[in-house]
Amino acid sequence: MLREAWTKPQGRAGALLLLVLLASAMIGPWFLPDPLAQPDILAGSLPPGLGHPFGTDQLNRDILARVVAGARVSLSVAVLAVGLSATIGTAVGLVSGYWGGVVDVGLMRLVEGALAVPRLFLLLLVLAVWERIPLPALILMIGATGWFATSRLVRGEVLRLREEAYVRASEALGARRRHVILRHLLPNTLGPLLVAATLGIGDVILLEAGLSFLGLGVQPPTPSWGSMVLDSKEVLVSAPWAGIFPGLAIVITVLSANLFGDALRDAVDPRSA
Amino acid sequence: MTPWTPRPGPLVALWLLLLAPTAAAQTSAGQPGSIVIAIGEQPTMPIPTLMEGSAGTQGNIELADQLFLRLARLGPTVLTAGDRGFVPLLARSWSRRDSVTLAFDLDSRARWQDGVPITARDVIFTFERARNPAIAPRTVGLLRHITSVTAEGDHRVVFHFSHPYPEQFYDATFHAAPLPAHLLDTIPPEALGRSGFVSHPVGSGPYRLVRVVSGQFLELAANEDFFLGKPKIGRVILRVAPDPDARINLLLSGQADALDNVVPPLENIQRIKADTTLRLIPVPAPALGFLLFNQKDPHNSTKPHPILSDVRVRRAITLALDRQLLIHAVFGSYAEVPFGPVSSILWIRNGAPQAARQNVAEAKRLLEAAGWRDSNGDGIRDRNGRPLTLGLSLPTTSAVRRKFAVLIQEQLRQVGLGLELQQAEFPLWIERRSAGKFDIDFAGTIQDPSPSGLTQAWTCTGGTNVTKYCDPLVDSLMDAAIRGNAKGDPSRPWIAVLRQIEADAPATFLYAPFYVYAVKRRFRDVSIMPGSSWQLVREWSESR
Amino acid sequence: MSGWLLRRGLQAVVVLAIALTILFFLMRAAPGDPLARASESRPLSTAELAALRARYGLDQPAAAQFVAFLGGLLHGDLGVSIEYGRPVTGLLAERLPATLLLGGSVLLLNFTVGLWLGVRQALRRGRAEDRWLTAISLVGYATPSFWLGLVLAWLVGIKLRLLPAAGMQDPLLSFDASFTVRVVDVLRHLVLPVMTLSIVSIAATMRYQRTAMLEILSLPFMVTARAKGLPEREVIWRHGWRNALFPVITLFGLWLPILVTGSVFVEAVFAWPGLGSLAAAAVWGRDYPVLMGASMLVAALVVAGGFITDVAYALLDPRVRLA
Repeated sequence: MLREAWTKPQGRAGALLLLVLLASAMIGPWFLPDPLAQPDILAGSLPPGLGHPFGTDQLNRDILARVVAGARVSLSVAVLAVGLSATIGTAVGLVSGYWGGVVDVGLMRLVEGALAVPRLFLLLLVLAVWERIPLPALILMIGATGWFATSRLVRGEVLRLREEAYVRASEALGARRRHVILRHLLPNTLGPLLVAATLGIGDVILLEAGLSFLGLGVQPPTPSWGSMVLDSKEVLVSAPWAGIFPGLAIVITVLSANLFGDALRDAVDPRSA
Repeated sequence: MTPWTPRPGPLVALWLLLLAPTAAAQTSAGQPGSIVIAIGEQPTMPIPTLMEGSAGTQGNIELADQLFLRLARLGPTVLTAGDRGFVPLLARSWSRRDSVTLAFDLDSRARWQDGVPITARDVIFTFERARNPAIAPRTVGLLRHITSVTAEGDHRVVFHFSHPYPEQFYDATFHAAPLPAHLLDTIPPEALGRSGFVSHPVGSGPYRLVRVVSGQFLELAANEDFFLGKPKIGRVILRVAPDPDARINLLLSGQADALDNVVPPLENIQRIKADTTLRLIPVPAPALGFLLFNQKDPHNSTKPHPILSDVRVRRAITLALDRQLLIHAVFGSYAEVPFGPVSSILWIRNGAPQAARQNVAEAKRLLEAAGWRDSNGDGIRDRNGRPLTLGLSLPTTSAVRRKFAVLIQEQLRQVGLGLELQQAEFPLWIERRSAGKFDIDFAGTIQDPSPSGLTQAWTCTGGTNVTKYCDPLVDSLMDAAIRGNAKGDPSRPWIAVLRQIEADAPATFLYAPFYVYAVKRRFRDVSIMPGSSWQLVREWSESR
Repeated sequence: MSGWLLRRGLQAVVVLAIALTILFFLMRAAPGDPLARASESRPLSTAELAALRARYGLDQPAAAQFVAFLGGLLHGDLGVSIEYGRPVTGLLAERLPATLLLGGSVLLLNFTVGLWLGVRQALRRGRAEDRWLTAISLVGYATPSFWLGLVLAWLVGIKLRLLPAAGMQDPLLSFDASFTVRVVDVLRHLVLPVMTLSIVSIAATMRYQRTAMLEILSLPFMVTARAKGLPEREVIWRHGWRNALFPVITLFGLWLPILVTGSVFVEAVFAWPGLGSLAAAAVWGRDYPVLMGASMLVAALVVAGGFITDVAYALLDPRVRLA
């Protein structure tokens, strides 16, 4: 399946972009100045130039170095958390849509109840227990509170698909439920699922910024793309490069994830070719 | 079920209609006789004696200054000792009968906005409220030295004090602006906050509140019969925009004419300067930022702090920081390094010595003397296996403090002290602060113009002294300064207080900024009162 | 059908009751004190704080507070805001029109233009237009809303002076301004916030619609419809589109609460007096009564969204069996 995704030009482009991002995140810091250094505070924000290809931020720290350093946090949080959300959401959606009945009612009402409670309070409560939240725990929390929408989307598709002729036929032939789900339903729900995952990556990166603003997530001076963008809000017009470059990093990540996801879906579901 | 495909024509027409600048709307803020001021929060309780607790916001206080006049107001020197620093308002003149008695003669021209003359009865009524612990507990404390307020006829009010002290005049005039007794004395005192008077106040000031569109703006209209002269600007709009960038945008787009503080970020100065219709006016500000050291162990308040209970470490931290550089980086030239807990609005700063300059060598020497050496070469000092690392607790809501924190972290690392930043959202930060669960707290306060406010945070029994810093010498010096002596420079005893506080090093005092106001150039005779931004708008005029 | 409606209604009530109860206690369990805001600039002494605490009933145990809340609820009283000192119902009512205007416009734009573009993309799959729309919409989606808002405010409001940079109305409009002038004034203020929110969210409707449409287009029945000689337009819209709507309907149901919460960032940047910023400030300030009120609205919309979604599924595709 992955091999087929690779053959498509878009898939290759997407995967390559992601690999480039990851590689630069790992190797980059060796070649670049220390992202936490403050060479000349009074110089403030410098526009992109020779010494600083991406310019410097308000505290005169090199933005290129910080974007590369921030990739570590932002990419890991985004990819892992979204992966978790997507998995849980799909599982719940499949079960809820296919089993129907009490299971569906119970799960969907649970989802609705959870959607009514602000994510923020759940996350803040964790702060009451832990003073500082390590990154893996943060990823777990974001992932565990982000699957509700996916589950509803997947469930919607399943409700429609389980009435399809081929599914009915398969059931009539005595296929086990697991077989029906994995073989017939799951591949056809990949469409919305991948869209949700792709869009989710962008969401989570920005969410992480908001969370570090609240004291959850990474603390300064550790950079992350989302908090770099948030910090640049007040100098948006006077020093636009401070927000543009981390923003671009986010955009590129979302685009490449999307390309790869599209190719993946094409490979799995040849009919949408 | 063919969905409608949008046709270009009508869309374009709609677009043009929306974009076409209608004459009134586009140049709205340019209407003659009006001024639009962008503010950060909507005042909901601008009534003297009610502005306590959560209603004690700057927004409420500033609006109250427009609606309700005091007996006398502070002049530009903000000198709260004696009476020379004050300008007559409701009181036309005053006299001192003896060392504990002041008599004020009310201006007979003064009227409430409903036409009723202002009399001594209003002052008595207001002070009854202000000295009622069930209504205004904070003000009661501030007025504790006033023993009685009596009327002699309709236009004279006599204040008796418990003992002679320099700020008698300030206490009599600043904390409680008179309220109309004829309208309020039938309302039960505790019910005033819920009455219709709050939304439709009748005051004594140059402007009346005429319209409130909640969450958007308040409209004030000039009081035609204002006894000190009808304001030349007939209409004042207070436009609410909680986000600082939205306020700047309102100013730059011409939708607002004035804004109370454009920095930080420093970059805004350039943006405003590039707009030739705007003028920048720096004004002393009541804000103060400092690093407060917890001298008790945050995990067990009966034990001293393992690192910060040593005064040498605390002094070393202050000396390790290049505070001049720090404030320059964040505030540009619009801030001072304070000596002691003194904002730029306090008059006592005029005689104060310079704040200590950075002295890294001395800082290192002090740390070594306290036993902190880097024994394992990791760049951070240690002693008996404990590393010299401290947590800095700060709220995420303050961009200024966030910037400072990162810079401070770097500077302290240079002397081998590891600082860990602990950003927390505002309520959590407050909780940590009140519970004493921090090593260093990045605190910020807004000070009243009187230095006697220092007792709140820096005396043994001070109500806001969260670290319970206690130096009996400071307490007695402050007592002496508040009592003052009849002759001599009134700031001298206060300087002694500040010196002792600096010697004790309970905190590193970082910044005392100025607010940089931006006002459209078409306004003339612009004066801005420190601590009360728009009180003098009634004296402004416009040129067209 | 009516049996099903009744069951759903009952479930809705149960879900709401449980969610709100959990929320009530969750708020109080979370760290942070509602009176922290009172100490913001002029720190209060412990005595003053104690007095305030008693005034708002915060010194009572959580269970007692809950009982008091329920009692008030029966009278339609949501309590008094700790921050504003005014009844919560009044605060919510004041902010609701602005929020509905913003949220409603965004939803309208998203579910008309978004759907239309999504279908277009599917029909022109692989061609330049498709690729460009994908790229642009994703760039929009990945852009932080406050960033885009500030850029638009600067460009359109300050540089070009075409539209107001912030606010909902012009406070200097004269008292005798006609209704039309007022409406146009609000609309002019509405353009930038709606554009901002739409640009950053339209990618979602577009992507979901495109994906779903692509699946449908390749299905056998579509081939059959074409073979029958039906006009292309009818084939696509009448036969195909219905089935491609499922994810979009789900999305609509999920987004319904936006009518209330709007976008906090966009409301902040454009000084739009909506519920989103009220609720966000209530979170900062731990203003429990306001939070409960806003959450009740949101919860009601969430449940309504779920309900509408399920009904729409059944209407669109009669084969669908719902619990």
